Amino acid sequence: MISDIVNVIFCLGNCVLLVNLRRMRLEKCWFCSSTVYPGHGIQFVRNDAKIFRFCRSKCHKNFKMKRNPRKVKWTKAYRRLHRKDMTQDSTFEFERKRNRPERYDRNLAENTLKAIKKIDKIRSDRASDHIKNRLKTGKVQRQKEARKQLELGIHLVKAPLALDKIHLFVFQKSKSMCPKHRQKRISPWKTEIASAVPRLGIFVHQNLMHATRGLSYQEVFYVVSSGPEF
Amino acid sequence: MIQPQTHLNVADNSRARELMCIRVIGASNRRYAHIGDVIVAVIKEAVPNTPLERSEVITAVIISTRKELKRDNGMIIRYDDNAAVVIDQEGNPKGTQIFGAIARELRQLNFTKIVSLAPEVL
Repeated sequence: MISDIVNVIFCLGNCVLLVNLRRMRLEKCWFCSSTVYPGHGIQFVRNDAKIFRFCRSKCHKNFKMKRNPRKVKWTKAYRRLHRKDMTQDSTFEFERKRNRPERYDRNLAENTLKAIKKIDKIRSDRASDHIKNRLKTGKVQRQKEARKQLELGIHLVKAPLALDKIHLFVFQKSKSMCPKHRQKRISPWKTEIASAVPRLGIFVHQNLMHATRGLSYQEVFYVVSSGPEF
Repeated sequence: MIQPQTHLNVADNSRARELMCIRVIGASNRRYAHIGDVIVAVIKEAVPNTPLERSEVITAVIISTRKELKRDNGMIIRYDDNAAVVIDQEGNPKGTQIFGAIARELRQLNFTKIVSLAPEVL
């Protein structure tokens, strides 16, 4: 860690500048708890000398509106309070605020940087696992409901045997203007499929290509697929 | 952005309570005063039976403003009120205590006595 105040003397030609470099610290936004990087956001000093840091004007404006971050859904405070995000984990211990500046040690700095990367990965993995686990019960519930709905509404779904025979008709645009002959049905090309609907899309496409072979896009009027009642 | 007619709180124990800015010191047509600028003010409200009285003209230095203070490193600081500290002609504070957090800019402007008395320097 770099020491608190480092005096750096720059020589610019004849001019000598004495510059105080303060230690840089990544703060947390008071409202949404995201990190405030240097050069971002506003700090508000209340009359009792309490400092509120905000990452952007959105948070600042919400604060001015006197909103409670624990009630605003998109803030970390709300999410932690309502157990949407991970609250307790050993990886949080590493990110405690330390007020004592450390003497600079190259090895220490190097190891710290490596550790930060690793700990970050572990923490984010655990956090996403937490959310995944939270959403698992909902998924199971939805599948159960879907199954129930299928049972109750099966009469709305076509019988599989009926779905087996799908007829594809390709109509060719006739060059004549006579409305009677405007659509000429090319040899109705039936296709039968043995199995279920989900694969229908791909299957139809391949057969469309067969059926419309030799026709330009202007000649194909439309293609109809239907069940046996056509 | 303090200008004539602006009321300011007093951030020290110099027995004045409220000041009204009369003039911004620095240039003949200077419009606004910010943190660290000296103003001439009249005392609008004072603690009774003290050396400083109401409608007395004094100089003060501005300690905090509601208008944001921008620093070169990108930090922006906003205070909750406009406040000043009563000073004499040399720049020494008349009171013995300062209340509230003080901005670092005052140290660069040679108000070292004020900065040393301050409970917190931002």
